[in-house]
Amino acid sequence: MDLLGYILISTGLVFFLGTTIGLLRFPDFYTRMHAAGKGDTLSTVVILIGCICLNATQEDGLGLLLALKILLIINFILIGSPTATHAMMDAGNKAGAVPWRKDSE
Amino acid sequence: MENLIANFNYVIVVILMMIGLWSMLAQKNLIKKCIGMAIFQTGIILFFISIGAKDNALIPILTEAANHTYPVSDASKVANPLTQILMLTAIVVGVATLGVALALAQKIYQQHSSFDEDEILENERK
Amino acid sequence: MPELPIWQFDVLLLILVVLFAVVALSIRNLMGAAVVFGAYSFMMCLIWAGMGAVDVAFTEAAVGAGVSTVFVVSTLYNTGATMQRRTGGLTFKLFIGVVVTVAGAFLLSALPDFPKWGAPDSPVNATVAPYYILNTFEDAHVPNIVTSVLADYRGFDTLLETTVVFIACIAIYSIMRVDKAKLETDEPAIVAAPRYDPSDSLIVRQASRFMVPFMQLFALYVIAHGHYSPGGGFQGGVILGASLILLAISFDLKFLLRQWSEKTLMLLVAVGVFLYAAVGLTCMFMGGDYLDYGFLDSILPGEKDMARSHGILLVEIGVGITVMFSMIAIHINLASNGRFDRGL
Repeated sequence: MDLLGYILISTGLVFFLGTTIGLLRFPDFYTRMHAAGKGDTLSTVVILIGCICLNATQEDGLGLLLALKILLIINFILIGSPTATHAMMDAGNKAGAVPWRKDSE
Repeated sequence: MENLIANFNYVIVVILMMIGLWSMLAQKNLIKKCIGMAIFQTGIILFFISIGAKDNALIPILTEAANHTYPVSDASKVANPLTQILMLTAIVVGVATLGVALALAQKIYQQHSSFDEDEILENERK
Repeated sequence: MPELPIWQFDVLLLILVVLFAVVALSIRNLMGAAVVFGAYSFMMCLIWAGMGAVDVAFTEAAVGAGVSTVFVVSTLYNTGATMQRRTGGLTFKLFIGVVVTVAGAFLLSALPDFPKWGAPDSPVNATVAPYYILNTFEDAHVPNIVTSVLADYRGFDTLLETTVVFIACIAIYSIMRVDKAKLETDEPAIVAAPRYDPSDSLIVRQASRFMVPFMQLFALYVIAHGHYSPGGGFQGGVILGASLILLAISFDLKFLLRQWSEKTLMLLVAVGVFLYAAVGLTCMFMGGDYLDYGFLDSILPGEKDMARSHGILLVEIGVGITVMFSMIAIHINLASNGRFDRGL
C-alpha cells in the first residue's frame, strides 16, 4: 500500500511538471488557462489519493476516517477548482483577450 | 562560515526584514509599501517560529497515534508552543493593520486619484 | 510518524521565499504583485508547517494567503489603478539600499551569538515552555497545547487581540463609510466600473451556492475541534467569514446585505468580544480571578475538571464570532468604497 502511495504521488508531480511547462510555453491566454486549470486539479487529486494510500494502514479505523476526510477534500477541489478556471476564462473573454490563431504569427 | 550554515534561518530572516524595510522606504507606490510591511511582519514571525523549532521534535499536539504518552516525559521532544502562540496573535494583528492601511490608501486615492507618492505630493501643493 | 522533514528541504524553501518576496515587490502590475504576495504567504505557511508550527501555518493559510490577498485585490479592483507608474529617483533608492544594507549588517553581526537552529537547550526552551508542555493535559485536559495556552494560560493576550480585530473593523468602518445623504453634496468619488461581473455566470453562482454550506460546516468543526487538532477560534472564524465573502463575490454585494444587514454585522462584531469578557466576569462572580475558568465548574456541564476545557471552548466561540464578522465588514467596506451598494 505504501508503494502505491509513492507511485501515485510521483505521478501527481509529473502532471504538475507538465502543467508548469504548459503554463510557460503555450502561446495564448486561453490555452495557458486550459493547462493550468486541468493539470492543477488532476495532479492535486492524484496526490491526495496517494496520501490516502500512504495512511491507509493505520490501526483502530483511523486510516478509514482519514480516507473519508480526504475524499471530502477531493470532492471540494473537484467542484471548486474548475469553477475558478471557468471564472478566470470568462473574465479574460470579457476583458478582451484575443485567441491565438496560427496565421496571426 | 560554519556559523552561517548553522544559523541560516537567521540570515534569511534579516534579508526578509531588510527587503520589507527597503520597500516601505523607497517604493513610491502605496500598495507596494503595504505589501512591504506585510513582508516585514512575516519575516519577524519566521524568526520566532524558527527559534522555537527543535531537531527531530514532534508537533505540540498530544495524540496517542503520534506516540505521545500522557503525561509527556521529555519536553525536548516537543516543539516549543510558546513562540507559536505569540506569533498566532501577531498574524491576526498583522492582517488587521493591513486592512486599515488599505482603507487609508483607498481614501487617498479618492482624493487624489493616484497611488503614487510623487503625484499625491504634487496634488497637495496645488 | 509526524516528524519534521529534513533540513535541506527547509533551506530550499527559505531561499525560494526570499525570491518570492523580491518578485512581489518588483512587478509593476499591482494585481500581479497581489497574487505573488499570496503565493509568498503560502510558501511561508509551508515553512512554518515544516518547523512544527501547524497552528500558525493554518492561520497564515487562512488569514495571510486567503483574506489578505482578497483585501488587496478588492482595493485594486475598486480603484482601477493596477499599473505602477514608472518613476525615476534611482539615487534615492540606492541611498535607501545602502542604509538598509548597513542596518542588515549590524543585525547580522550578532549571528555568532544566536543559539543553533533547532537546539533543544536554547534559552527560549528553558523556563516556561517545558511547564506548558508537561502540565497542560493535567490542568486543562486539552491535547492541543497551543490552544490551551492561547485561551487559558495566556487568556488576556487573546482577549486583547480580539479587541484589536474589533478596533480595526471599527476603524475601517469609520474611515470608509459614506452616507447616502452626504453623497449628493460631496464630490463624486472615483469608482471604476467593473468590467467583469461574476453574477452573470451561472456556473459560478451555482458552484458557490453548493460550496458555502460545506465551508461553514468545516469552519464550525475547526472551532470545536481546536482542542484536539490544529484549529481554534481564529482559523474557524476566518473560514466562516470567507464563506460569506464568497457569497458576496459570486452573487451581488446586495445579496449578502439582504441576508445580513449592516446593523446586524456591526452588532455581532461586538458580541464576540462581549462574550469573551463576559466569561471572564462570570469567573469573578463565581469567586475566582478574571478569566480563571476553574471556578466555572458549577454552571458548566460535565465533570469537575473539564471546566477549563469548556471555558476554552466558550472563549474560542467568542473569538470566532468577532473574527468572522470583522472580516466580512472589512471586505464590504473595502470592496464598495464604503457605500455598501455595489462592489466586487
